[in-house]
Amino acid sequence: MTSNFKVISPHRPASAPPILEISELGRVYRMNQSFLPVLEGVSFDVQPGEMLCILGPSGCGKTTLLNILSGFLKPSEGWVRLHGKPIARPGPDRCVVFQEDALFPWLTVVENMAFGLKGKGIPRRQRQVLVDRYLSLVGLSAFRDYLPSEISGGMKQRVALARVLILEPEILLMDEPFAALDAQTREEMQHLLLRLWETLSHTIVFVTHDVREAVTLADRVIVMEKNPGKVKELVDIDLARPRDIDDDRFNRRCARLHDLLRN
Amino acid sequence: MDNREKSGLALNRLLPWIIPVVFVAGWLIVAEMRILPAYLLPHPVDILDCGYAYIFGSPGDGMYAGRFLTDAGASLVRVGVGFAVAATLGIPLGVMSGRLPVVDRLLSTSVNGIRAVPGISWLPLALIWFGIGLKTTVFLVALAAFFPIYINSASGVRQVSPVLLQAGAMMGIRSLRGTFAILLPSAMPYIISGLRLGLGISWAYLVLGELTGVTNGLGAVIMDARMVGRIDVIIVGIIIIAVIGRLSDQLLDASMKFCLKSARRSA
Repeated sequence: MTSNFKVISPHRPASAPPILEISELGRVYRMNQSFLPVLEGVSFDVQPGEMLCILGPSGCGKTTLLNILSGFLKPSEGWVRLHGKPIARPGPDRCVVFQEDALFPWLTVVENMAFGLKGKGIPRRQRQVLVDRYLSLVGLSAFRDYLPSEISGGMKQRVALARVLILEPEILLMDEPFAALDAQTREEMQHLLLRLWETLSHTIVFVTHDVREAVTLADRVIVMEKNPGKVKELVDIDLARPRDIDDDRFNRRCARLHDLLRN
Repeated sequence: MDNREKSGLALNRLLPWIIPVVFVAGWLIVAEMRILPAYLLPHPVDILDCGYAYIFGSPGDGMYAGRFLTDAGASLVRVGVGFAVAATLGIPLGVMSGRLPVVDRLLSTSVNGIRAVPGISWLPLALIWFGIGLKTTVFLVALAAFFPIYINSASGVRQVSPVLLQAGAMMGIRSLRGTFAILLPSAMPYIISGLRLGLGISWAYLVLGELTGVTNGLGAVIMDARMVGRIDVIIVGIIIIAVIGRLSDQLLDASMKFCLKSARRSA
């Protein structure tokens, strides 16, 4: 892979319309007789092609927010618009990479990857070509006929990533996808994601509770607070890629996000 | 492979046969030493003779000679039809009640109420409704096999991880297609156990249904033999039912695995 990562300016020209608009989003859960607000007044835009991280402590409603963006949950208040149109239900234009293992355990790596393509009605020959291409993009060509139970956690998440990338979604929604991996694998996956993002230029909304992950990946970080979940601050990560995690400026960004999370 | 692994493998092959061999050996000893009179426990060699005559003999040779094919055929048809009815009702209803709370609310009280009635208490009613013969047996078999199939299908569907369904929905696979592409394969291990339990019970209720005076069938032979005091035929009948029951279970498991990826690739 080439090393000249594209640097997307966090300060996009105002002329580019946002791909996703989130306005005054609220969500209340009903607990017996009382109501528990998990999200309140959440507003932000997602620019086309950007890597946006949503950072927050556990219980701040990150996953709820992502579930609303993907269409699995309806908001109690406010609205979400994709290209100016409201989101009605889940669909392959907004694909999710889940936190836990969401591969179909009775399908091989290849069959898992072809699953969504079949649903789209893409013919067999074309499916094979696409699967082969994306399989090699995530470096799993040698494991095509393995079952999910036969490969490692990192490989599973590669498959999970590949099976949605293959659908060419406009937005990739990622719900702490690397949280369950060991530190080294997580770092590999972050680099893989950046490399794929460079090649395929998707828009990515990435939920995490890991400050260093957010600074490694993001153009912009939305820091959330909890009880109820709100946007606390929007932080630009104006570092060129590839980012050096030992660099002072990197660590200063991390320290700043840590501070925001604490107070 | 070293010697230890080899002997481990041999032991593994041997293991299922230890109990039958010890059992037959004990039986031989009891018979040889005449501990029990032959009218209570016949000699194994007599059983072999009787079984041979029952299976391979020609009808003229004796009362039970050569009846095996007719009896087994009749019984297989009854079990097959009854089990098929149970599976065609049990799987869809189970899947629906596992997935849809409305269907679960609608069915669970009635199903569990009927389930609480021992299958044998249906026999008198079935005899009045359907008379003696195929229909009564099929009714009893279907009724008894329905419950394990229904209940296992429902719990299998209930334990399907919601994330898998979400993953399907985001890839544009939902409702009916999702049912066949995600729900059923994911619940497959449970559905298979339900079917296997159901098939096992089918054989039990087959014999019950055939005890009531039908002229052919494996259960009928056993009952008939009791009337005329042919204990050797009773024992032959029991052994044949055990063997066919075991084979049909293996056949069911193997054919599910042959036909369905999800059955093959789950434990």
